[in-house]
Amino acid sequence: MPALSESADPALPRTSREADPESQRHSKQLRRLLLISFSWLLALLIVAGVDALLAVRRLDRASQEVSRRFTTRNHALAVIIVSVRVYDDQIERFLLQDQVKGSAPDPADVTKQIAVVRAALLGFPLDRDPDEQLLLAAMQQQLEEEETSCALVLAWRADLRQQRAYQFIGQQLIPWRTRIFELSSQISSLDEHKLALENLAVATRFQMLESRLVWLVSLALIAGVLISLVCGLYILRLERQARQRYQALARSRLELEGLSARLVEAQEEERRSISRELHDEVGQSLGALLVEVGQLSKLVSPDDRVTQVQITHIKSIAESAVKSIRDIALLLRPPMLDDLGLIPALEWQAREISRRSDMEVEVHSQSVSEDLGDETKVTIYRLVQEALNNAATHSSAKNAKVAVAQASDKITVEITDDGHGFDPERKRGMGILGMEERVRRFGGTLAIDSSPGKGTTVRAELPFHSEDSPQSGHAPATHQP
Amino acid sequence: MRKIRILLADDHKLIRGGLRLLVEQQPDLTVVGEANDGRETVSLAKSLKPDVIVMDIGMPNLNGIEAALQITQANPEISMVMLSMHSDESYVLRALKSGAKGYLLKDSAESDLIKAVHAVAEGKSFFSPAVSKVLLDDYVRKLKRSGAEDAYDLLTPREREILQLVAEGKSNKDVANLLNLSVYTVETHRSNIMEKLNLRGIPELILFAVRRGIIS
Repeated sequence: MPALSESADPALPRTSREADPESQRHSKQLRRLLLISFSWLLALLIVAGVDALLAVRRLDRASQEVSRRFTTRNHALAVIIVSVRVYDDQIERFLLQDQVKGSAPDPADVTKQIAVVRAALLGFPLDRDPDEQLLLAAMQQQLEEEETSCALVLAWRADLRQQRAYQFIGQQLIPWRTRIFELSSQISSLDEHKLALENLAVATRFQMLESRLVWLVSLALIAGVLISLVCGLYILRLERQARQRYQALARSRLELEGLSARLVEAQEEERRSISRELHDEVGQSLGALLVEVGQLSKLVSPDDRVTQVQITHIKSIAESAVKSIRDIALLLRPPMLDDLGLIPALEWQAREISRRSDMEVEVHSQSVSEDLGDETKVTIYRLVQEALNNAATHSSAKNAKVAVAQASDKITVEITDDGHGFDPERKRGMGILGMEERVRRFGGTLAIDSSPGKGTTVRAELPFHSEDSPQSGHAPATHQP
Repeated sequence: MRKIRILLADDHKLIRGGLRLLVEQQPDLTVVGEANDGRETVSLAKSLKPDVIVMDIGMPNLNGIEAALQITQANPEISMVMLSMHSDESYVLRALKSGAKGYLLKDSAESDLIKAVHAVAEGKSFFSPAVSKVLLDDYVRKLKRSGAEDAYDLLTPREREILQLVAEGKSNKDVANLLNLSVYTVETHRSNIMEKLNLRGIPELILFAVRRGIIS
């Protein structure tokens, strides 16, 4: 049976399979650009972060340094004042040792104390600015003066001490002391002033850091927004491309389906026309020839044996030619479909296969209407033809059953045989592909249930529309024997 | 003697010519018209009122079966012989259902046409011997393969008698008169026959009779 073997799947249309190289290069460039931008943004953020961290640490150290300097100065100043005070006190007590009760200091201790004072003065931090240096120098000068005077005083005896003690204290010691305090308070206020200045400098640097941070963050933000924008555009482009590709794919799939549908249609149309041609032209001429030969044999005398035998011979040749032509025409396009309708045609086919093979075929139908569309009839007819031929030739089945049932919205066709079956997952010949194609193109489903040793059931469900013939333009042919 | 008036319907002029030649050799037959397709046949049947129509099953613009259905409705008195290439029972049954009485294979038209025309003109059935043979072969093969018994064996002699008469085209009343039975009894026999043979309607009954060679 030549049926269906030509419906090979056509090559996929090549269009829209590969993007053109121009846009591919473009995409590559864009990807590289995005990668670079991301790296830059990341680098910017890292630099800004590290810089801010280092600057804060530096500022912290500077601020600590400022307060440490202030504290050491304050401390040194306090030491100086205290030591000077102790010294003054010792001098005073030495002078008044005769009037006031109490232990008189040893002149040696007093001399020692002057060394302490001197050490305290030297202990003032060395990183002094000129004003400080000046004040300290004044203080030192006065202390030296005081030391010189006091060295004399310490040598005084009791009478001299009694006579001049008060005078010395009032005129010398107290002004000195006052002066020292003045100087130290000047130094102190100078230091405070400096502290304020340095704190201000730290604050300024902090502000600078702040503004730099703001700048860097803004820069990163702008860059981020820009990159996001580019990314967004890129994604949109990709989406559009994907959509286009999907549409192209869907379109080519549709085209493919249309193509194979047209293929089946063309095949059917071709068969029909060849069948008609064979039958109408060749078949009818041969039929007429037979009639004429019959006439001829009557015209010739029955006694003319030689001519009669010749005529009989001609007749038998013509008859066998008629038979061959009819068989071929039937196979190509059974006129039963047009003359009788689907079920009688299926019954004819069933008997035809029963006659030719060892398989007995039965047809059962349930409420199948007689005015099915041409498409439906041909689809079901070819489906049954293919399934029965497969069963008769390959499965050594003894019995087969064809069941056609029509419901309101679909027609179910089931062909069952009791042959040895096959594995439909592994063996899928052109015949099955052809069946699938016909059914799919009709919007139906085909299921093949078989396994070795279990027989085969081919089941198709076709959506049913009472007046179909969806896209084919077949003229309803009524032109047969 | 009144000649049997015949209408020939075939879409091939060659075939019509051959058929006309055959018919006109007979002294009691005459061709009153020729039709080229189904529609023309229906309208000529109405206007010419022939006794017999010899018609090809496959014709353009309304095939022979559809045309026969319309003619049976409009002019039931006209007898029809269908010409066909197919000996399959699907065709025979459809032809019978459409009202035709004769069924002739084109191959054997030349030898059987005259017999067929005479038979249907008398209200009898006629089938090409080859048709009976094919029908019987199918039937026997099926019985053998399925192991079922021949339903014909279930019939009583009286039922077989009635089956033949009905298949030959006799009405219940004719059968009752012939066999000296009441119409009611004949009806009962008929429905028993139909049930035993699992037949639906007279065309299937005639087909069965042809198959078994009860009528030809």
